[in-house]
Amino acid sequence: MENKQIISLLAHNHPGVLLRITSLISRRGFNIDSLTASPSGIEGYSRLTVRMSGDDNEVEQFINQMLKIVDVKKAEVLPEETSVAMELALVKVRSDCGNKNDIIAVTSTYHASLVNIGDNSLTFRASGTPSQIDTLIESLSPFGIIEMARTGIAALENGDASLTEQ
Amino acid sequence: MQLNGSEIIAECLIEQGVDTVFGYPGGAVLNIYDALYKYSDRITHILSAHEQGASHAADGYARTTGKCGVVIATSGPGATNLVTGIATAYMDSIPMVAITGNVSNDLLARDSFQEVDICGITLPVTKHNFIVKNVKDLANVIRKAFRIAMSGRKGPVLIDIPKDVTGAVCEFTPEKPETVVNPLVSGAADFAEAAKAINASKRPMIYMGGGVVSADAEKQLLAFAEKIDCPVASSLMGLGGFPSSHRLFIGTIGMHGGYETGKATDNCDLIITVGARFSDRVAGDRNKFGKDATIIQLDIDKAEINKNVKIDHSLVGDLKDTLANLTEAVDETKHDEWNAQVSEWAKKSGVTETPKSENYAHPYHIIEAVNALASDDDIIVTDVGQHQMWVSQKYKFEKPRKWCTSGGLGTMGYGMGAAIGSAVANPGKRVVLFTGDGSFHMNLNELATVCSYDLPIMIVVLNNTVLGMVRQWQKLFYGRRFSQTDPHRKTDFAAVAEAFGVKGMRIMNDDDAEAVLAEAFSLKKPVVVDCRISPDENVLPMIPPGKTVDDMITEME
Repeated sequence: MENKQIISLLAHNHPGVLLRITSLISRRGFNIDSLTASPSGIEGYSRLTVRMSGDDNEVEQFINQMLKIVDVKKAEVLPEETSVAMELALVKVRSDCGNKNDIIAVTSTYHASLVNIGDNSLTFRASGTPSQIDTLIESLSPFGIIEMARTGIAALENGDASLTEQ
Repeated sequence: MQLNGSEIIAECLIEQGVDTVFGYPGGAVLNIYDALYKYSDRITHILSAHEQGASHAADGYARTTGKCGVVIATSGPGATNLVTGIATAYMDSIPMVAITGNVSNDLLARDSFQEVDICGITLPVTKHNFIVKNVKDLANVIRKAFRIAMSGRKGPVLIDIPKDVTGAVCEFTPEKPETVVNPLVSGAADFAEAAKAINASKRPMIYMGGGVVSADAEKQLLAFAEKIDCPVASSLMGLGGFPSSHRLFIGTIGMHGGYETGKATDNCDLIITVGARFSDRVAGDRNKFGKDATIIQLDIDKAEINKNVKIDHSLVGDLKDTLANLTEAVDETKHDEWNAQVSEWAKKSGVTETPKSENYAHPYHIIEAVNALASDDDIIVTDVGQHQMWVSQKYKFEKPRKWCTSGGLGTMGYGMGAAIGSAVANPGKRVVLFTGDGSFHMNLNELATVCSYDLPIMIVVLNNTVLGMVRQWQKLFYGRRFSQTDPHRKTDFAAVAEAFGVKGMRIMNDDDAEAVLAEAFSLKKPVVVDCRISPDENVLPMIPPGKTVDDMITEME
């Protein structure tokens, strides 16, 4: 079954490790939606969070291939139902004096906050699950989205479990 | 003790049991070559004519010994010339450590003379690579490189070392090399399930590959195959991992495999894949490969499971252990009826041979004549093309590590370097290189190396004056439009050999073959034998790309 899955990786933060991972993704033709890299809170390790499209076999291949990279120490699927996955988006919406209130009404429904006001635009910050962000963007698009930036997903497993302890 | 970076490299190589390295000097490795001069009583350096030759030599050394091959080259073009050799080793899982010099730290990233980002270039064709910017890290990086190259699924590792690091001094403490232990990933339940499938099978077959050779698991495979009494087919890479003369051996599998291996694959109810990876040259149509069969795969690399073909049961771990455990778990059995059926197919396997000619020798005739002269311990090397397939079909390999061929990458020009590495690694053994005129033209410069070290390599050029394999495909699939496959070269290979200081001989037809080959073989010296082969000779049978045994071609013209 083709679906979206989130995979969490722990990798040594050696120079070039991101290149090794992205090069493998491109070489093996994996189809990814987003990739984020950040400190993991563990000395010497980075956490990478990948959201990919693919069936179970492709996800298994992805993990097995990632584990062949010498610097990658852990690679696990984070199941949607037992994980928190969030991202942050900045959205710049076209706005004239007449529709400002309509726009703000939409954004407040999604708990997006106004962070900048331009002559003809409003910029909002929103955070939430990828689907919440998708819905917000959909609702704002009739007003005209000038540009936007999304961070990609950060995700952790629910409860006390952690990648390092497995 | 206080040593400079180059001496640390030499000490670490010795620590890892390395006594032979291949390479070519240059500006960025002057310090390393100065240390090699000092350590010349403990490390033998073989100088090639071109870095590519050195990289293939390290590969041939590794394939025929099981040890890690080592190659050294300078920065820039020296490093890029290694790339084909590294990629060849990567595709065939051959352990190799490539050491390249680079410009000094203060010149890095400034497009300095002979600077290249070799780590970036080799990233997709190495298991791992390193750039060592501080001499204090050097010893441990070299140790780690050997561990990575030799552990799990083996492969090449590159270490790039800026020139100032090779001259900088630091404290060096010798260490014993770590023993590589590959843990068994699969558990008792996995073995029990696989054994159940094997015990239930009426028509099983084994499809073995290079992993058997890499793991030195030939004895375990033999015991397993005999216990379950089933046919054994080999990939190109697996040859020698199971004795060719054994009653259960049915030859190579895939594009140019026999009719019987194709029929067995299609009609078996179980395929036990041992250290092989279902490449497109074996499983032409990966959705129809073993279409009625349960598939069990034994491999050290978990990422090979379900990569090309859907697997029913997998056993992951070192093949020696997995095969031993599996042999323990299965019932001893006989498959007389099934084995007899496969033998029946083998009788139908005949391919019409081209008629005898005064003007040409037949390639099978040459290969069989060499086979008759050589012992089971002699080493057979090939280049890539029709000659390679003919050798894989006809030559009887009885022992592992006597066979060097570029399987995965299909590197024309591989043979000269690999033959040199094999000859250096196996003093007293004969090395025969089968090559074609196309492949030989690519790296015949290494005749200079063969002559320098007086290596007893017999180079048999199956010379059909055309790029035969590509020409065969043009015949079959491109309406006989022979685009750029007939170069009209006038090269006299025997004369070329003499010009390099190597004996040259000629075979004009089948009647010459035995006498000339016997003389060449008895020389125990480097010799080139130019054999005239018809440009119209084909490799048959052939399963067209993407097809199955049902589409097998057994006749052409």
